[in-house]
Amino acid sequence: MRLPQLTLNQKLGAAALALGALALASQPHRGPFVKLDARELALVVEQEVDHVTPAELAAWIVEGRADYRLIDLRTAGEFERYHIPTAENAPLSALADYPLQRNEKIVLYSEGGIHAAQAWLLLRAQGYSGAYTVLGGLDGWKDEVLFPALPADAGPKQRARFERAAAVARFFGGEARADGTPAASAASVELPKLVSPAGPAQPVATGAPRKKKKEGC
Amino acid sequence: MMTPLFKYGFFGEEFSLLVAFVLGVGFGFFLERAGFGSARKLAAQFYLYDMSVFKVMFTAIVTAMLGVTYLGWLGWLDLDLVYLVPTHLGPQVVGGLVLGVGFVVGGYCPGTSVAALATGRFDAMLYALGIFAGTFAYAQVYPAIQGFVNANPMGQVTLPEVFELPWGLVVFVVVIIAVLGFWGATLVERRFRSEP
Amino acid sequence: MTARLPDPPRAPAVAGAGPGAPYLNPYLAGIGLGLVLLAAFVLVGRGLGASGAFSSTLSWLVNLVAPAHAQANLYMQDYLGDGTTHPLKAWLVFEVVGVAAGALLSGLLAGRARFTVEKGPRVSTAIRLLCAFAGGMLMAFGAHLARGCTSGQALTGGALLNVGSWAFMLMVFVGGYAVAWFMRWQWR
Repeated sequence: MRLPQLTLNQKLGAAALALGALALASQPHRGPFVKLDARELALVVEQEVDHVTPAELAAWIVEGRADYRLIDLRTAGEFERYHIPTAENAPLSALADYPLQRNEKIVLYSEGGIHAAQAWLLLRAQGYSGAYTVLGGLDGWKDEVLFPALPADAGPKQRARFERAAAVARFFGGEARADGTPAASAASVELPKLVSPAGPAQPVATGAPRKKKKEGC
Repeated sequence: MMTPLFKYGFFGEEFSLLVAFVLGVGFGFFLERAGFGSARKLAAQFYLYDMSVFKVMFTAIVTAMLGVTYLGWLGWLDLDLVYLVPTHLGPQVVGGLVLGVGFVVGGYCPGTSVAALATGRFDAMLYALGIFAGTFAYAQVYPAIQGFVNANPMGQVTLPEVFELPWGLVVFVVVIIAVLGFWGATLVERRFRSEP
Repeated sequence: MTARLPDPPRAPAVAGAGPGAPYLNPYLAGIGLGLVLLAAFVLVGRGLGASGAFSSTLSWLVNLVAPAHAQANLYMQDYLGDGTTHPLKAWLVFEVVGVAAGALLSGLLAGRARFTVEKGPRVSTAIRLLCAFAGGMLMAFGAHLARGCTSGQALTGGALLNVGSWAFMLMVFVGGYAVAWFMRWQWR
């Protein structure tokens, strides 16, 4: 039995119909599912390249660096009361839809650090290779940056470092503790009023309304 | 999945501009190949004796649509990261009507006008100047019509989402419509071309 | 239903036109375009477009001549941004320059590049040019209202099954066919 001769156009049409029919079974969207490289992530955590210290973050803010996004994972109310300068508020549940680029440096913090660590894992799993947490979270920030303490048996080098830390603390509206009071009491100390430190420009929280229209035609 | 490459950080803004240029070259090349550097061929679509606009456009749509479907299915493309222009039904319906009228009056659309002026068509150059003038006028009235321009916001929605149908089914239906459309278009062309 | 349907006519299909190689089979051209579009999705995560490039360029020009006015204008602000990037350093601007280059290349290869005016046999050049300008103005309004033109909305959005794009595409054909009869003196 001879097959009928098909023109090019007819062959194209047939191919289209075949591909269209096969597509009936397709599921092109990833949906909420992600793939994790467990080994790689475990290594990243062990090598301690998954976080930044509060002191490092403070230095970036003082320097006025604009190459990172600081994300506060707490509720809006907590964010209003106090947040680390230059931070944007994105509660954990809204993080998936929050506009973030995969090639950006994203620094996450929460109250203590657990939520930040979980958010870090979720972002990493979705391909955000530039995600980091703030070691110790907001508690660590209060401890190291806002209210740095000088240990009782401090040597001269530690004293010098403490002086610098005290200057940074003042910059952020905090105050150094010279009498070595334990960090726990700092929790009850009043947090500084939110005055953005002079210098670093605040990156716009949402998709930058004043920046150029990037996508769309 | 690691694509779209740009959104996974494989290259930066500057390189993406180069990519834009190269893609544009491909775009312009095939537009001209299809004959869309000619207003007469483009306008002929609306007089039914040359349905190339319909054929080219829908073939391109079907090709890319099947492409993203299969690449997404294979896990090679993260379809969620491909930008979707937000839907605003009112202004988009009106805009489409106005654009259709402009197409028949002017003989081009913005993309084809660039293709045509690059191949020396003076009318395309005038058309492009018209776009500039029209854009300027639009910018002046924009504050007053803002409300309408942002009306009926539906966000970034696809047909499968709105009709609550599986993606694959909508793809299949589109392919069927397209192939039937192509067959019908050829019949229409034959009918209207035989007229004097 | 076994007779072969006639092939599309050799370019150009209308009287009074010039020489040149025959146009490519529209389905093959469409596949080529579709693959370019697919490449855009895979490489950059966005589709093609054209009208935005005109907006960027216009905003830049107006900013040169009347910066206060440009920067105060709600529409042009989006394309001028905060001043950190040049308005012409926009993805669509580079893409559109590419379109011109690609079209010129194809036109030269096919011998279809020439300085001429595309018009029907019954209309004068002057009227045609006027209509072209008017058409461009109308097109600008349509495209900006719809947030895209046939390249950006119809092609790109069409392939992604975008609701607004399909609605838009449908209306383009409706609008075109509605006025075609009234404009036939320009083309036939």
